[in-house]
Amino acid sequence: MFIVITGGSGSGKSAFAEEQILRLSSDQRIYIATMMCFDEESKRRIARHRQMRKEKHFETIECYTGLEKLQLPEGATVLLECMSNLTANEMYDPSGAGEQTVERILEGVCHLRDTAKHVCVVTNEVFSDGQMYDPDTMRYLAYLGKINCEMAKIADEVYEVVYGIALRKKGGEKL
Amino acid sequence: MILVTGGAFEGKKEYVASRFQIAAEEMADGEHCSWQEIASCRCLYHFHLLVRRMMQNGEDPFDLCDLLMEENPNVIIVTNELGYGIVPMERFDREYREKCGRICCELAKEANEVHRVVCGIGEVIKHA
Repeated sequence: MFIVITGGSGSGKSAFAEEQILRLSSDQRIYIATMMCFDEESKRRIARHRQMRKEKHFETIECYTGLEKLQLPEGATVLLECMSNLTANEMYDPSGAGEQTVERILEGVCHLRDTAKHVCVVTNEVFSDGQMYDPDTMRYLAYLGKINCEMAKIADEVYEVVYGIALRKKGGEKL
Repeated sequence: MILVTGGAFEGKKEYVASRFQIAAEEMADGEHCSWQEIASCRCLYHFHLLVRRMMQNGEDPFDLCDLLMEENPNVIIVTNELGYGIVPMERFDREYREKCGRICCELAKEANEVHRVVCGIGEVIKHA
């Protein structure tokens, strides 16, 4: 099962994603964390997410770039959070894929699907504030948008979460 | 309580006025209104600006949901759906949109109905 979960910032995507993982399997649960920690604010965000996952028996693996090469046990249930961070890392980090970001990440997603039993990817709606940004940021929007569309094509289920309410966009049962 | 959300300029207020038969004078504007108006109005719009105003005044809006449920449990709350853009550069803006989102998650949990408005057309996304 491959599920893509999208939504705005602060919309309750993560909580919904964790519920899906609990629903899918009681076997080995792996959380792929993608956010690099560089300041107090990111530390706080990470701490908040760790608190949410406590008691849900996730093993956390950090992956900032190179998802396609990540070593994973076979047959686990995997939650990757969040595609918007992973995309930024691949684009901007010296170890990242740069202009090959889209191809490399989609390769990584396929690698997850091939290795794990169930995969749930959380991504982010960042496309609707009507601002024109510098070319680099516009390129980021284009890359993430492309990745989201391609993931949705191969996903079994796609949801958009609005303030904790999951709107079913593709597949799945009526909630 | 009913929560109505959607992007800016999507026609949320007009939708509420016609769907729930609410007159202009029964609505309070979160940007400027008093607590008394918040507690007595039928519809509180610009809810996100109320959150913003409180944060700018150094107040923590975290209890806002509980407070509204106590003081005005049948109110219709209209809020802009924030958080659909690039992470803002300014720290205050980041905290504001994050906080607004969390409070709206709380409101949505408590609400009997949640409506989402796009192009003036409302869709009921939660019905208790």
